[in-house]
Amino acid sequence: MDIWNNIVLGFSVAVTPFNLFLAFVGVFLGTVIGVLPGIGPMTGIALLIPITFGLPPNSAIILMAGIYYGAMYGGSTTSILVNAPGESSSVVTCIDGFEMAKKGRAGPALAAAAIGSFIAGTFATIMLMILGPAIAQFALNFGPPEYFALMFAGLTVVTSLAGRSLVKALLATTIGLAISTIGIDLQSGVSRYTFGNLEMLDGLEFLVVAIGLFALSEVLANLADMRQAVMERLSIKGGLWLTKEDWKRAIPAFIRGTLSGFFVGGLAGAGAAVASFVSYGIEKSTGKHKEELGHGAIEGVAGPEAANNAAAGGAMIHLLCLGIPGSGTTAIMLGALLMLGLQPGPLLFQQQPDFVWGLIASMYIGNVMLLVLNLPLVGMWVKILDIPLYLLVLFIILFSFLGVYTVNNSVQDLLLMVGFGIIGYILRRLDIPAAPIILAMVLGDLMEQALRQSLIISDGSLGIFVTRPISLILLILAAISITNPYWGQLGAFFRRIFGQKTAA
Amino acid sequence: MKRVLLFVVVLLSLVLSACGGAPASSYPEQPIEIIAPANPGGGWDTLARTIQVSLETEKMVSQPLSVTNKPGGGGGVGLAYMAAQKGTDYTLVVYSPPLVINNINGTFEGKSYKDLTPLAKLITDYQIIVVKADSPYQTLEDLLNAMRADPKAIKFAGVSSPGSMDHVAFAKIAKAAGIDPKQLEYIAFAGGGEATTALLGGNVTFLSTGIGESVAQLEAGTIRALAITAPERLTSDLLKDVPTVKESGYDVTYEIWRGVFGPADLSPEAKAYWEATLKKMVESPTWKAQLEKLNWRDAYSPSEEFTTFLGQETETYRALLTELGFAK
Repeated sequence: MDIWNNIVLGFSVAVTPFNLFLAFVGVFLGTVIGVLPGIGPMTGIALLIPITFGLPPNSAIILMAGIYYGAMYGGSTTSILVNAPGESSSVVTCIDGFEMAKKGRAGPALAAAAIGSFIAGTFATIMLMILGPAIAQFALNFGPPEYFALMFAGLTVVTSLAGRSLVKALLATTIGLAISTIGIDLQSGVSRYTFGNLEMLDGLEFLVVAIGLFALSEVLANLADMRQAVMERLSIKGGLWLTKEDWKRAIPAFIRGTLSGFFVGGLAGAGAAVASFVSYGIEKSTGKHKEELGHGAIEGVAGPEAANNAAAGGAMIHLLCLGIPGSGTTAIMLGALLMLGLQPGPLLFQQQPDFVWGLIASMYIGNVMLLVLNLPLVGMWVKILDIPLYLLVLFIILFSFLGVYTVNNSVQDLLLMVGFGIIGYILRRLDIPAAPIILAMVLGDLMEQALRQSLIISDGSLGIFVTRPISLILLILAAISITNPYWGQLGAFFRRIFGQKTAA
Repeated sequence: MKRVLLFVVVLLSLVLSACGGAPASSYPEQPIEIIAPANPGGGWDTLARTIQVSLETEKMVSQPLSVTNKPGGGGGVGLAYMAAQKGTDYTLVVYSPPLVINNINGTFEGKSYKDLTPLAKLITDYQIIVVKADSPYQTLEDLLNAMRADPKAIKFAGVSSPGSMDHVAFAKIAKAAGIDPKQLEYIAFAGGGEATTALLGGNVTFLSTGIGESVAQLEAGTIRALAITAPERLTSDLLKDVPTVKESGYDVTYEIWRGVFGPADLSPEAKAYWEATLKKMVESPTWKAQLEKLNWRDAYSPSEEFTTFLGQETETYRALLTELGFAK
């Protein structure tokens, strides 16, 4: 099929006034959902499913996709401005984004996030168009051992990036892994650590733990410090736009983030959160200014923000080409499409060209809309800083409770969230990083399943992880990433031991 | 946000239903809530919403209908919620075989379909046994022979825990074929997508799952169906050439039914109302169009019959799960 005919067909679907309107509504809502800490794209789309019933499938997917990648844009905003990630995929953006904001460079950070998102979103859309089917084919080579190796690599990267202290980072990872074992075990059907509580059978909700550990503990920390002073007022010095130096540093990070995000999120279906962590790991190990990472380096915003948008696009490839959702959000979209009578899968491109190409065209348009919506309005987002602390705290609390309650309509979840808020506050005071807890919790369950599936396949032999090339390569990468940041520490440790010996 | 949304929806529906004019019967006098005991997007949620849409489009119920998701515990959270509605008349819930299975394996802590009022069985899906398109196994018998030779060499995937539908369905076939069901090497995956990927990547030999999960890949020709567990062949173009397990010489069928329930101690008036309304619904053009769209098969049976059926299901599953070691 002629690609130009397809593009023309796509735009003829996407530029009808109604679909343009829906794309705008989608990206606008997506940005808002992204900005609000409690409400993620999953919740947002799930809430909108009833509304899409009356729409033709084309329009429904344009709306849902708009929310999805819109949230990837918006998620960065609160990470940078209030150190409370709007989405799990923006957790890592907090590290350098908030540091930049502290230094009065919130404007460039937000601009870098928006531009990175635009570049990555557009790139992913082009890739979806030309590479979709081929990429889906390669992803099929990933069996349980490869998935295990991939997630293992993802976890080690986080642990390595989180720590000034190896012990504290590993402790956090272990807590996360322990949390992930709560609930019915898929491979045996046995319920673990549920204490007979029905609501615990599916494990702890990710959002409950994430909002507790990040948003609520932030609130608690702010309240605790209030008597000393108001929360650090982040005033904006300098422009809102990137400087020449910023551009020079951000552009390579955009490119690295886009590529790694697209391959990790798209190929492996590891999701936007992992993609952003992987990108941060890359910046930390290869960037020219790696020593600045963690102290407000623009690469730490540009890379991960590009990566999570590229991953969102990659997840769409999974959804459309294979009918296999590559992320939680696309899983919900798959459900919604089935309800609309569409079966995503390898045949979709042939049977429903107007649907697929209409969506692709709308993604181009939506990305432009988002850039326009986010860049000139960066100033507006920055104004959030002028909101008095008590209001901001109230808003965080409000949206935390709202977001958590809407997931399961469960009061128990609210209590758990408060519990994790307190735990998060204690961890903060002990200087134990929270990010590894979250990722270990998300990946732990999948990783355990993949490990045990692999072992059933191999009749119990661990050799399966090193005899399969993709898995072996990933495990080697994991080994490098976990040892690399600690060589210095290990060296110091041994020196201390030997030093003490000689002293004694 | 959801509350507000719900409020708006309820308000709108109130206005709309007021315009439509209400029938004379006194029941229902309040809005009706349909519980989907799982997250949005899954089978239970889809059924709950399809019922809602059909009843509203056909204007069969004078009160507004809303769907609420109560996910968790394999449906257990929904069941606990329904227990709290005992004796009331305005909450419905949808379930399928896990309602029976999770009672036997202890997940529901003693609760069962007897804590609900079965109103109607609505639809059914069957189990399908699929292999990769280039698999050496051409028939179910080929596969069973290989398993007889070395049961450990054949791994199969499904989308539910061991001891739940995908596992039990094949265990039933294996047992009839003289293979010890305890010898089966079953690998559970969290979703149909993951399981299909494992099959296409050659990590498992075959996949036992609901027909609905496999339609896209069957159409694409990447996987091949060896057998279905329906009592007779299906009529759709895609599946008409797939033999039943019975044709292979084993008297085994396996049905993934889905039905609607009210809370325990539903008033006779409400029960009669829903029996009549659901019967009318399954004959309506909207419902039929939805079935077509979702590739579902009508399997309507009324309250009495459905209740008897659930009793039989419990017996069958108890025997199978006891043999497999999953009964509590």
